[in-house]
Amino acid sequence: MYKLYLCLQYLGKRVLAYFAMLGVALCVFVMMVCISILTGFVNKVEVAAKGLFGDIVVSSASLSGLGYYDEFIREIKRDVPAVQDASPFILSYGILRIPQTDYRCLVQVAGIRLPERAAVSDFEDGLFVQAGESKPTFAPPLSRVLARLREHMEACGEIALRQCAAVEGEGLSAPQHAAVSRLLKAIPIEMFPDLMRDAQPTDRFAGALRKLLAVAGGRRDDYLPALRELLAAAARQPDASGALFRQLVEAAAEAGDLPPERRALVERVCSSLRHQETALNVLAGAEEVEQKLGELRREMKAADDAGNDEEVLRLDARIQALSGRALFGPDRRAILGLGIPGFSFRTGDGEVVRTIGPGQQIVLSMIPFGRRLSPTDITPTTARFTVIDDCDTDVSSVDSEIVYVPFETLQQLNNMSAEYAAPIRPADANAADPNVLVAPARCSQIHVKVRPGLATNEKLPELAGQINEAWQRFEARHRGAATTEVKARTWRQMQSRIVSTIENQRTLMWLILSVISVVALVLIFVIMYVIVVQKTRDIGVLKAVGASSGGVAGIFLAYGAAIGVIGSLIGTVGGYFFVRNINPIHDWVGRAFGFVVWNRETFMFARIPNEVSFATTATIIVGAIASGIVGSLLPAVLAARKQPVEALRYE
Amino acid sequence: MNDAVGAMEVRKLHKSYRLGRTTLKVLRGVSFQVAPREFVAVVGASGSGKSTLLHLLGLLDRPERGTIRLDGMDTAALSPARRNHMRCREIGFVFQFYHLLPELTVLENALLPAKVDSSLPGWFARRRERRRQAVEILEQIGLSERLRHRPKELSGGERQRVAIARALMNRPRFLLADEPTGNLDSRTGKHILDLLRQVSRQVHQTVVMVTHDAEIARAADRVLHLRDGRLAKQPPRKA
Repeated sequence: MYKLYLCLQYLGKRVLAYFAMLGVALCVFVMMVCISILTGFVNKVEVAAKGLFGDIVVSSASLSGLGYYDEFIREIKRDVPAVQDASPFILSYGILRIPQTDYRCLVQVAGIRLPERAAVSDFEDGLFVQAGESKPTFAPPLSRVLARLREHMEACGEIALRQCAAVEGEGLSAPQHAAVSRLLKAIPIEMFPDLMRDAQPTDRFAGALRKLLAVAGGRRDDYLPALRELLAAAARQPDASGALFRQLVEAAAEAGDLPPERRALVERVCSSLRHQETALNVLAGAEEVEQKLGELRREMKAADDAGNDEEVLRLDARIQALSGRALFGPDRRAILGLGIPGFSFRTGDGEVVRTIGPGQQIVLSMIPFGRRLSPTDITPTTARFTVIDDCDTDVSSVDSEIVYVPFETLQQLNNMSAEYAAPIRPADANAADPNVLVAPARCSQIHVKVRPGLATNEKLPELAGQINEAWQRFEARHRGAATTEVKARTWRQMQSRIVSTIENQRTLMWLILSVISVVALVLIFVIMYVIVVQKTRDIGVLKAVGASSGGVAGIFLAYGAAIGVIGSLIGTVGGYFFVRNINPIHDWVGRAFGFVVWNRETFMFARIPNEVSFATTATIIVGAIASGIVGSLLPAVLAARKQPVEALRYE
Repeated sequence: MNDAVGAMEVRKLHKSYRLGRTTLKVLRGVSFQVAPREFVAVVGASGSGKSTLLHLLGLLDRPERGTIRLDGMDTAALSPARRNHMRCREIGFVFQFYHLLPELTVLENALLPAKVDSSLPGWFARRRERRRQAVEILEQIGLSERLRHRPKELSGGERQRVAIARALMNRPRFLLADEPTGNLDSRTGKHILDLLRQVSRQVHQTVVMVTHDAEIARAADRVLHLRDGRLAKQPPRKA
């Protein structure tokens, strides 16, 4: 009984014990943080890789790709029960341009099938316009794109206004007054007939505008909230023009005396808003054009049915004329990776501001590596696309380089579509299809999603093997399906370079941290030794009143274990909260000391992993308690072996 | 056997210590007997081996030769566990420098032998009773006001009284006192001595007290003189 009792008494009253606990706590803390981040990193690579390419990737060694993919997908879905879904994929390289600018950027162009892609990857999770949409397409309703763009403009305006609002100040200065007046002039008041007629303004926008007018001559403290309210109202105003957003923000920026770095951000946001304004106008116009086109087509059909050829011709001409103002069709739409250089930026608070986004045009030029052509024959293909959405996968290397376009479009651009030739033998001419298939349409990869529960590190290689066998059988029946070797690999094998690097780092980290733990062990040993020496006389007294050697050793072992338990408890709690909040802490350190450890280019991910693994934590805690016991083992034995007579004489 | 309870018999006890290369012979064949409930004082100059004798009697050390019989049992034949048990139950120690545990209060110090004696469940089953016993003893020796104080808040005399309370806690048959008044002024020393006599008599203890002070020794029933590791010729018993 006395063992536990004395252990607790000593624990509370020895400053040295606190140092030992602190040492253990620090070790546990550092271990938890490092291991959690690296483990989180591996997990993130896994999630990202699976999210992008599915669980298993079937790919060809050559750029010319593999053919008969749809047949093969049907076959594996039928023959390999573990396969849940699969989708073809083309990956090519291209140059991305923005019309009428000098912008050029080397990108990877991915050809995907929507909404089929959502079945094999988590592509849909990162979409901007079609966020949360289980069946994303290249032709989402324009109203939705518009609404999302307006929301984004409002958010961008809010970012800029926040910069302006944070500046302290009294009344408006003369130039600020001038800015407000310009703003008020710029607002297309004719859009709001209620306001013009001074009738009761019914809609929110008009109300907000009135409020702004009312405070325009007053203090900035009133003015900025009024502007903000107006901005929010404008975002919900179906016919508010893009210019309005920008002007509101610019007025706010001019109205405040901004320090240079804030002004730089506001100007950057304003510049993005100008681009968004253009896009918004295009989209808003396109919506109208689409409606009009729909009407004209219906009219033309009616005229056609009525046999009025003249009317049909007239309507057709009008449709042709209008089509020029519409967006490109669904086969010429692109989804951008959110992170293409110059297309968007992140503010210090991590908010995204898009410069090039939905509604804007891009040009893609690529070299058709698809098939047959020798380098001298190759002529680059070029196509214009309307950006319709963007995708944030959280893997910065992917987001900064990939542009997604419809699969069949890229197939054509990349010279991978099916090729037919006129019949040579007369017998073929009589067949149902007179043309002869010379080369099948091709893709570069097939992404396979396996059934839930089977995507484990143990089962996936086996499934990849089954798919490989299926391909062998398939290729025997479909000659010319691929010119080079086709192989199915798991996501881990595909990402082995990254995964094994991180795993090696993690092993190294365990090693380094184990050495640190030995230091903690030595610390506990030294501290326990000092305590045992200090307590020599007490040990003598305890033995004099009948305590056994084992009992005396027990006191100090329990003491060491308690140091381990309490230290690891403190370290675990600290480590947990640190890891969970590592991103805000990292941001804060960056702001306060200008010191950024996590570079998103190097580490691939925008955010530092902040998951705490239960198993890792448990291992660390057990290790800490064990080192407490091991560290106190020798001092405890020394204490136990002390002769009571000598211990009592100790001064 | 019953006659032997509380009796102490020492025969031809030898003990020496190594000090570097020389061997210091401390005890050279000490023999004596103490009857049950007798209060014996061992007087000797410092370095005469009286503390060593007391440690041997209290089973804190082992003699090189000779036997010690407590309650008629040869202590050399006891297992370590049995010796621990004897020290806990049958022997109480009072030291010159009190040797209280500084972290514990007066009450906790007095309870220490009881705690060493009990297992964890055993302690929880009997802790009220044991606590009551300790409080009784402390009240008896005049420390009822000091139960929650720590040793450093007490005077020397009070500390020694706590040590006596601790020595009495398990009601041992033998009380061994090593210069119990050596660190106290003469007035306080006398009080402590009276207390020791009084309480040991109440619980029928056999007391062996070593001291260098012949005046103090006079309080005992019998005085043994230790000189150069041997007992001098015993003066006649007091009346």
